Amino acid sequence: MIPSLKNKNRFKPRPARFFPFFLLVAHLAISLPLTSINAVAEELSPADAAEIVQESINYYRGQASTSTVDMTIHRPAWERTMTIQGWTRGQKDSLFTILAPAKDRGNATLKKGREMWTYNPKVNRTIKIPPSMMSQSWMGSDFSNNDLAKSDSILEDYSHRLIGTDSHEGKKVYLIESKPHPDAPVVWGMQRLHIREDHILLAEDFFDEDLRLVKSLTSKDIRMLGGRLFPKIWQMQKAGKTDEYTLLNYKEIAFDIDLPEGIFTLSSLKNLRR
Amino acid sequence: MLSLDVKMAWRNIWRNPRRSILTIAAIAFASLLLVFMLSWQFGSYATMIDAVVKVQTGHLQVQAKGYNEDREMRQVVPNPGAITSRLDHIPEVSAWTSRGQAFVLAASAQRTYGALVTGIDPGREKLVSRVRDFVREGKYLDNLEPYSALVGSLLAGNLKIGLGDEVTLLGQGRDGSTAATVVNVRGIFRSGQDELDRNTLYISLPAFQETFSMGKAVHEIVILADDLEHIPQIRQYLQEDIAAGGEYGELVVLTWSELMPGVLQSIKMDLVSGFIFYLILIVIIAFSILNTFLMVLFERTREFGVLLALGTTPGRLSRLLLVESTTMTLLGVIIGVVLGSLVTTYFEAHGIVIAGTGDMLRQFGLPERMYPELSVLSIMIGSGIVLVITLLTALYPAHKVKKLEPVEAMAANK
Repeated sequence: MIPSLKNKNRFKPRPARFFPFFLLVAHLAISLPLTSINAVAEELSPADAAEIVQESINYYRGQASTSTVDMTIHRPAWERTMTIQGWTRGQKDSLFTILAPAKDRGNATLKKGREMWTYNPKVNRTIKIPPSMMSQSWMGSDFSNNDLAKSDSILEDYSHRLIGTDSHEGKKVYLIESKPHPDAPVVWGMQRLHIREDHILLAEDFFDEDLRLVKSLTSKDIRMLGGRLFPKIWQMQKAGKTDEYTLLNYKEIAFDIDLPEGIFTLSSLKNLRR
Repeated sequence: MLSLDVKMAWRNIWRNPRRSILTIAAIAFASLLLVFMLSWQFGSYATMIDAVVKVQTGHLQVQAKGYNEDREMRQVVPNPGAITSRLDHIPEVSAWTSRGQAFVLAASAQRTYGALVTGIDPGREKLVSRVRDFVREGKYLDNLEPYSALVGSLLAGNLKIGLGDEVTLLGQGRDGSTAATVVNVRGIFRSGQDELDRNTLYISLPAFQETFSMGKAVHEIVILADDLEHIPQIRQYLQEDIAAGGEYGELVVLTWSELMPGVLQSIKMDLVSGFIFYLILIVIIAFSILNTFLMVLFERTREFGVLLALGTTPGRLSRLLLVESTTMTLLGVIIGVVLGSLVTTYFEAHGIVIAGTGDMLRQFGLPERMYPELSVLSIMIGSGIVLVITLLTALYPAHKVKKLEPVEAMAANK
């Protein structure tokens, strides 16, 4: 699948155009959780915070999963929806292929570890995405290639600290601040996670090196999907831009399934087209 | 009476020929230098603008509003035919072409790099930009083989490809869909501008439009004017047209200085540093004039005393001095302008090569040989400033002579 390559200025997150508005949002995002939080549960150690994150990731990825998702890219003047089927195993391997629209059908992305390849059926070529392109957007969405390729980064490269608790639909929510280890090859200067006590990730905020909010992932419509409670709708939103976001709508998901050996290989990337 | 003054002034000037000639020569030299330097500066700007404009941007571009900043695929000129048929009827337009641009992943058998694909109309492009002259290996594009590409020399090196090799291009179409195609390397170009050579591929516009789901839309209509001075006029025609007809979509007309603000800034900086140099030159000349006239005043104090005693009015004395200084200044400026114009005309025909700057100039896509450009402006500015400053300087001694007392003056320098 395609990294959407826009202009060079977009290689890095841009500060919002309406600065005061952006400041306000950033300020709310930073201070609200802190103020509304009940006195923090000091009994939790950093190890516990890391465990909460680990369990949450295990919960939503499972040992292996397969899913069908509608991805809608929303922009002020237009909107585009595509249907994607994905397979994942653990945090390292994943494979995505486009089912619809017909024009894009068969375009596929393979991720193994932190490397990514993309396949296009029209020219029948597989291309490895070069490191310089990893910060580009994936399929023109608000997700970057790095968001996919470094999905395990939150566990390996960050240390976690519980900064408070909140509540959501009567359940306890842990607010965790994740900061990168020194010298870790990370994209974000800080992440803030909102994880419910039943392991459901409610929100993830991404901050740059200057600790300014860049974008936020939020989930909603939590319901039974694939035999477990799972948010049906995920939204990735650029900070300060209310009309630019990407929605993921899970139509189907199945966990802990048996995936054929060799599914996460370059040859299967080519042969997904059926 | 005035003619008598002029006669006296003329004689006075040549009473000390060496000093007068030196003063006139200083003024002439300053004028000559200013005429030549200004012509040189204006000439090199014209060369610079012409060279830079012909690498890519053209004098004017018609684009979708916001495209210059955002470079989004969907910001297109949807109906270029409406604009271009108008361009054919504007006599000041010397050539035009249209282009599409997309950021892609360019992959060879071995390597992948991010690159900018530009779709060009081969026949029209060669009239607007120098792309065709930049081709160092292989051949220029041809509409008969639409799926072939010109690759920048540095990009070709990075991708490890040569003539005839395949390059896969992968990006997003205008509608957001996946765009992919395979092109053959038909030529390799080197413009001397590293950025262009490192990230650009040219393919033919029809192939570009097909691959990136553009329909008949383009991203830029690039226009070359027959003269820099006609740019605002062409722009106005187009803007009136765009404002009048709704069928164009939201379009803007941008000039080269808006497309490449850096070029205009460096020109402005060069002008300012030039003017500082000229100012220093003129101040030195002014002091030399002042010195000459003060010397005259000291030397001729007795003479002035006698003239005053004989009944000459102080006003007439100061007028005499002014006529002397004006005559010398005019002589100097005229000689300077004539010599300066001759020197400039010579170099206008033959050009100047400053040894050792060839490589640097090539980096900016400039020719090695530069030509000054003599114009009314470059003649008038320099000589005008010299004239005004020296005349102002001469006012001081002319004023001072009025304060002489006849008896005291006649007793001076005994």
